[in-house]
Order: sequence, then C-alpha cells, then structure tokens
Amino acid sequence: MPTLGAGMPEHFSSPGRQPRWMWVLPLLLVFAVISLWQGLVSFKVVPTLVLPAPSAVWMDAKMLVLQGFQGQTLWSDMWISALRILSGFLAAVLIGAPLGLWMGTHRVVFKLVDPVLQFVRPVPPLAYIPLMVVWFGIGEMSKTMVILLGTIPVIMISALAGVRSTPRQRLQVAECLGATRFQLFRHVILPSALPEIFTGMRVGIGVAWTCLVAAEMIGAASGLGWLVQIAGQDIQVGVIFVGIAAIGVLGYLMELGIRLLERRVVPWRGHT
Amino acid sequence: MIELRQVAKCYHGQNGVTPALADVNLTVQDGEFVVVVGPSGCGKTTLLGLVAGFERPSAGMLTMDGQPILGPSHQRAVVFQQPTLYPWLTVRQNIGLGLKLRGTPGDRTRLAVDHYLEIMGLSGFGEHASYQLSGGMQQRVAIARALIVEPGVLLMDEPFGALDANTRGDMQRFLLDLWQRLRPTVLFITHDVEEAVLLGDRVLVMTDRPGRIGDEVAVPFARPRHWDLALTPEFLQLKRTVLSILRPDMFF
Repeated sequence: MPTLGAGMPEHFSSPGRQPRWMWVLPLLLVFAVISLWQGLVSFKVVPTLVLPAPSAVWMDAKMLVLQGFQGQTLWSDMWISALRILSGFLAAVLIGAPLGLWMGTHRVVFKLVDPVLQFVRPVPPLAYIPLMVVWFGIGEMSKTMVILLGTIPVIMISALAGVRSTPRQRLQVAECLGATRFQLFRHVILPSALPEIFTGMRVGIGVAWTCLVAAEMIGAASGLGWLVQIAGQDIQVGVIFVGIAAIGVLGYLMELGIRLLERRVVPWRGHT
Repeated sequence: MIELRQVAKCYHGQNGVTPALADVNLTVQDGEFVVVVGPSGCGKTTLLGLVAGFERPSAGMLTMDGQPILGPSHQRAVVFQQPTLYPWLTVRQNIGLGLKLRGTPGDRTRLAVDHYLEIMGLSGFGEHASYQLSGGMQQRVAIARALIVEPGVLLMDEPFGALDANTRGDMQRFLLDLWQRLRPTVLFITHDVEEAVLLGDRVLVMTDRPGRIGDEVAVPFARPRHWDLALTPEFLQLKRTVLSILRPDMFF
C-alpha cells in the first residue's frame, strides 16, 4: 500500500534535528538493493525471465513511456487510474464525511446507520467487485463504486470519531456564550472533527488504491492494475516492476497532496 | 443574584448511588466576590456545573435573578482550569466569539475586543494563534472571552490551578485589579485557602462526601487589595480560621 511508505519520511526526518548526512541513507539502501539485484542476475542465480536485470527494466520503462504496451502508454494508464481514484475517493469524502458528522451529532441517525456501517466495514472491498461489474458493467462506474464502497466506511468512522472526541469543555464554553445548536456544530464540533477526518482521508487513500488496482485487474481494459495484470499473463516481469513503481509514485503524490491540504486547512493540528 | 436552596446531586453508577452534594444553600449578591474552598473531590466542580446549567440537580432549587436555572446561558460565563481556547481561532477571534455568535456587527466587535485586549494586557497579541501564548496569557484570553458578553455572573473553576506558582500570583493580582475596574459578580472555586482569602468577600468552606457547605467566613479586608495583604498578621489569622474549618485534623 502506498500510504505505508509515504508515512515514513515524516516520522523519520524532522529537519534540523538530525545530522546533515542522514539524507544519504535512503539512497544508500536503493543503491544496495540495485547492486544485489544486478549481482543476482549477473551471476545467474535467478533466470532473467523471473528477474530481469535493472537495465532491462529501465528499457521496459522507456518502451512503456514511448511506445506503450498493448496499445496504451504508461502515461495514459497513470492518467486513467488517477482519474478513477480521484472520482471514487472524492465521492467517498463528500458523502462519507457529512454522513459521519451527521451520525455523530444525531442519535437517531447513528442508531439507523451504524448497523449498516458495522456490517459493511468488515467486508473486503474486493468482494463487491463481481456485483459492481454485474450491475454497472466494466465501465468507469463500477470502478468508482468499488472505491466508494471500500473507502466510505473509513471516512465515516473518522468523522464520527472526530465528533465524539470534541472535548466537553469546548462545547460548554460555547454554550455559555449563547451558541445555538447549529452554531455549536459550525464553530466547535466541525473544526474539532477536521483533524480526525484528515487522518481518515490519509488511511482512505490507501484503501482506495487497493480497491482500484483490484478492480482493474478483474475487469478493465486500461489503468495500472490492468497493466500489471496483463504483463503478468505475458510473463513480462520488467513491465510488472514499472507498473508497481508507477502505482507507488502516484500513491505517494496523492498522500503528499492530502498532507499539503491538511496543513492548509488544519494548521492548528496537535494544539489544544 | 444567584440563589441555591437545599440543592443535592447524586450520581447513579455501577456501585449504586453516589451522593456528590447534599443540602447546599448559597447566595451570591450582585457585585459580590464569593469563593468556595474545599478539598479535592468534595463536589466543588459539581456545584459550579449546576450553577452554570451543565447539570441538573437531583433535588432543590437554583435560581438566577428569580428565574430557575434550566441550562447554560450567556448570563453565566465559565472560566475553567484549562483555558479551553479554540486553536483554530486567533486571540482576537477567541475573545470576540460570544459577540459574533449573537450577530454583533464586525466593527463593534472589533472595538469591544480592542478594549478587552487592552484591559487584559494583551495589546499586540490579537492576531496571534491562541496556542502561541503562555499559560497565564491564555487564561487571560479565556477571562476576556467570558466577560465580553457581559454575563450576570462569572463562574471560575480553579482558574489558576494549572499555572506555576509565580504566574498564579500574577494572575491573582491581575484578577484583584480587574475586579476593581469592572466589578463583576464572581463565584470562584479553589482548593487554595490563601487564594480564597486574598480574593473573596466571603469564603464558603466545603466538606466532602457528600459535599456540603460547612461554614462561612467573611473577609473584612478593604478593597482595593494588594498582594502584600497576604503577609499581614490579620490575613494569616483569617487563613488559620479557614484552615481550621477545612482541616481540623491539622489543629488537634
């Protein structure tokens, strides 16, 4: 999952605290892995069909970008996958966050929706794929729906948890200033819940990628999941590598995007 | 004027009914500074929560200016031990929130906030994020936010309890000056006997389990008061009187 790698730099490098040479470490690791890889191929420890040389993978990457594979260039696959992620993920946030906030502030809504949520949550999103394909075909709608269904519980639960974690005294202060129910929501509950919602979005984007790649592997004629799947059938390990790397890069960029948005929307995060 | 008549509060928990307050009678006159002092766990915060309207009593009557207290109101502003500022608002926005919520025009809010920034010694800090201020300054913002809506009474729940000793002293002197200037009605809760005697017109001593108001000590010192009052023999004598009610075990 892309979020896993993407979460690392923040924890491991707080600028200014660590010696300057620390930035060399990740490069060192990459260099070591590529050397080991080249070694395994050069000394014929593994056949090139299973593990092509780094240079061969590089050639595959160039081929994917310039000519494409089975009629699609890498860019168009990246583009279509990104669009699918964004549509499904945005739908999940735009529907899930208000729904979670609504559940958190209204008991009746909570009692009504929570059993459904608890039922849907443990179902692996991949289980929806056949149903979505039957209902919506192998077009864009089925992918958006799989991502939406997989991601929305995460977003809803984070919004709900955000409402629940609003400190009591924050509410009491506003009540003493004469806040109405709506003002309590607008001026206290919503801003208190925002940091949790962003945490949910960062988890959710990873789930969205899992759903998308799976959906593209099962029923699609384009996208990075399709590319990896089709290359696997052709035993084109180099192309698989490039596809996985492209998923990682896109996932990382999206995680960065959410973090940037978070810094702008909730700069007070972590302060009480 | 705040009046409590035979107020009791019980909590229903897994271990049955726990009485928190029993038979509390209390009157706070307009313009009066009343301090309730008691050991921790004696129900002081419960008492304040009842007066604020956060909780309903199990028995008895609470009124403000003759009207029963049924819920929180802008007539009763609260300052907690924690400043509880909104971190997404600047200092200026925190102070002005009460006026904004009731739809006061922006320019009037601005003038009122400027006024309170000046009174609170926070001029020049209006545009800071609330969490950039020190603990004492944050608590002054919380007091300004409470006072700007011109409440009938200011309820303070150990407001200086989380501050270090020096800052606490500063804030006590600050509150004495502030009272001199604005004359708010205050119901102040603390466990600190010296703080109680220094600030209050009357000190009500609570005993615990269940909490009741055991005795009342009038504080005769004239206002304006200065901090060196706390060094006079009269002050120490009064402190001794309060302590002997609060902790008779210490006096044999």
